[in-house]
Amino acid sequence: MKTLKILTAVCIIALTSAVVFGVLNYQLPNESYANNPEAPQEQFLDNPNTIKEDFFKPQNNEEELKGYQIGDIATDFKLKNVDGTWVSLSDYPDAKGFMVIFTCNHCPYSKAYEDRIIALDQQFKKKGFPVIAINPNNPEAYPEDSFAKMKVRSKEKGFTFPYLFDSKQDIYPQYGATKTPHVFLLQKEAAGNRVQYIGAIDDNYQDVNAVKNHFLKDAVNALLQGKDIQTKTTVAIGCSIKK
Amino acid sequence: MYISHMRKLIYLLTLTALMGCVEKKISTTDVVQRGYLIQLLESPPEDKIQVINFWATWCRPCVEELPAFIELDKRSDVEVILISLDEAKNKDTMVDPFLEMYQITSTVKLLDDPYAAEWIPMVDQHWDGAIPATLIQKGSKKMFYNKPFTAAELEEEVAKFL
Repeated sequence: MKTLKILTAVCIIALTSAVVFGVLNYQLPNESYANNPEAPQEQFLDNPNTIKEDFFKPQNNEEELKGYQIGDIATDFKLKNVDGTWVSLSDYPDAKGFMVIFTCNHCPYSKAYEDRIIALDQQFKKKGFPVIAINPNNPEAYPEDSFAKMKVRSKEKGFTFPYLFDSKQDIYPQYGATKTPHVFLLQKEAAGNRVQYIGAIDDNYQDVNAVKNHFLKDAVNALLQGKDIQTKTTVAIGCSIKK
Repeated sequence: MYISHMRKLIYLLTLTALMGCVEKKISTTDVVQRGYLIQLLESPPEDKIQVINFWATWCRPCVEELPAFIELDKRSDVEVILISLDEAKNKDTMVDPFLEMYQITSTVKLLDDPYAAEWIPMVDQHWDGAIPATLIQKGSKKMFYNKPFTAAELEEEVAKFL
């Protein structure tokens, strides 16, 4: 009888601790994401059940978009800037070209490149190649990419370049941007703005000091010196643009 | 009375413990280098369909399609490998807790190689780096998809390898 009592006690303790630890374990991830302001939280904080529901929603059947190839003439646009003005490439009569960068607020890769984009703008704006940043995302898919949040981010980081909102989502498909960040380097000619480089800013998003190839910087420098761009297209991991 | 209740309780506990053992363990992330990816690409299995999915915890469309891959992994003729492109420093704080939270039991590797421009073309010439992306391979047959999948679409593509 006594052994049974002891056994019962052990069982109860084991059960209780299992339940308590189970609960603790379950809550841990939530806490750590919530405490990490840099972490993209939306997907974690969602209840797993809502994700499953989302999952069974029909996917957009995006038609194959070709986008621009090197040498194509890129379209101009008129998009709203975070300062309330409307910006077009034709507003820059003195520019020799543009670094059009599709980027956004929510994507960790975009965030990793913010400081580098500011530096590129500061280095090349005065030489005739300003940065034009465009957020192509649908803020319904990524609330962090809303126009209001764009204004906040631009102010926080002190963006020195226009940060435009592709609110109708009709510019990025023409360019063929598929992800953020995605760069299109344009050179102004009589015929229009010709696409000279498509791809990544450089080859290491994690560590600016470990970059081996400064693709975009090298391409702009080549154009400024009237030389051929060595690497005209590059690939990089990025966050898919969401319709 | 008391004793018989106790017996039942002990029996129940044993059963629960046994069931716990049978259940598959939640995966933890294995950090790998480029060599792992190259080996994977160079030696597709002959006897099963290998489904390699590139994803990240911060990528919403990736997270949305994960349940389809996890469901697929229950099949004995399919091997699912989830390659996370999260930063390696986030393994303990983001990736493993994510696997725990969603009870993921599939194989999870974290490719710790920021020079994506070098290895992306090895996976497929047509991949521009947007994720999610999926490679299905068996023997000499390979198919690459740079788009998110629904469960039905994924099953349909896998069926082409049967």
